[in-house]
Amino acid sequence: MSGVTDDGAPSYEQARAELAAVVEKLEAGGTSLEESLALWERGEKLADVCQRWLDGARERLDAARAARAD
Amino acid sequence: MRVVSQKISAWIARLGWVWVDGQVAQVSRRPGANLVFLTLRDPSAEMSLSVTCYRDTFEACDPPLREGSRVVVHAKPEFYAGRGSLSLRADELRHVGLGELLARLERLKKALAAEGLFAAERKRRPPFLPRKVGLVTGRASAAERDVRENAAARWPAVAFELRTVAVQGPTAVPQILDALAELDRDPEVDVIVLARGGGSVEDLLPFSDEALCRAVFACRTPVLSAIGHETDTPLVDFVADVRCSTPTDAGKRVVPDLAEERRLIEQARHRLDRAVGHFLDNERRWLANVRSRPALARPETLLSGRREEVDGLRNRAARTLTHRLDSAGNDLAHTLARLRSLSPLSTMQRGYAIVQRAADGAVLRDPAEVTTGDQLRVRLADGELGATVE
Repeated sequence: MSGVTDDGAPSYEQARAELAAVVEKLEAGGTSLEESLALWERGEKLADVCQRWLDGARERLDAARAARAD
Repeated sequence: MRVVSQKISAWIARLGWVWVDGQVAQVSRRPGANLVFLTLRDPSAEMSLSVTCYRDTFEACDPPLREGSRVVVHAKPEFYAGRGSLSLRADELRHVGLGELLARLERLKKALAAEGLFAAERKRRPPFLPRKVGLVTGRASAAERDVRENAAARWPAVAFELRTVAVQGPTAVPQILDALAELDRDPEVDVIVLARGGGSVEDLLPFSDEALCRAVFACRTPVLSAIGHETDTPLVDFVADVRCSTPTDAGKRVVPDLAEERRLIEQARHRLDRAVGHFLDNERRWLANVRSRPALARPETLLSGRREEVDGLRNRAARTLTHRLDSAGNDLAHTLARLRSLSPLSTMQRGYAIVQRAADGAVLRDPAEVTTGDQLRVRLADGELGATVE
């Protein structure tokens, strides 16, 4: 699950780890305004990636459950 | 009646002592009774005789006599007039060959063990779910029924490849060997069950046969042995890959329990679901938490900090400037006051006047500086007026 998946998008764990690092860095401060903005944009993007992973996984789980219930 | 009975008795009493070889068909011992009654049967013909002996004689046998034991009896025919029955009165009972037989089995067991036929590491694991179960047992036997019924109860789709054989007597071993070889060659047969119900030590002898033991050892297919009762341990039990205590036990062990397997799968599925669900829930919570932190949720805080910084600096600059202006103002006022204190104005307010020559504005300190008719300017505190020298 670590590393990059086949289509080049970061894996969930990768995105999650980077997101955590970005937020930590933002919270620690000490970056230039320009850097801060870039970090924030990166964080938003990573959070979206994570969200998509989780939503997709949940859908698959629900679909499998529904298929079994039939 | 009495005469006939006495005559028969007397005639029989003349018969001498004999040694009789037979199989114990029945033992009847009443508690407290001094006599033990046995029925002795010919091993291969439908003939039997009653035997009586004292309890001490009966109990002198080691191992104890059981039904089915082969014995030689030293006895004398005796007519019991009270009932008109004939029996053999025995004074000695001996096991026939059993001691020798058991000793031989023990030697064979040691030899096979030394050769490694019983080695645990040579045991093969029977398949979890065999395609076909080879079953070697007696024709229409209880053993066959026990294996089939118990296996089908656990796994209804179980398929058997049955070979019926003689399970005792001289034909048993060759027939079992043939059946084993045939089933071992069948690629569909994944496991072979060798089953037989209980019997005497002699009955179970074929299952301690050396050739049979070697054949079971040589089988490529895993073999389950299920011979006799719990306590019976023919040598093939040691060679078999799995030793089952009874045919019923073999039926249970040869196939998995369908209901149990279904339950396990259902359980595994459930746990799988829960584990994945938990994981997703946890990650969602984590993500929501990260997203709600000010660094991500309110990026304007990134700016507001900076804006405050700029405002602060601007304020500081303004304050500094104000301060400087104020002090400059003070300075000015001070200087002005000093200036004012030095000016003649306050003196003039006390009533003094400054007189100047109108022509050039020179301040007059001496009357000789002017002549009659000169124009003068007189400065008073609140204005000035003109005058002429007289």
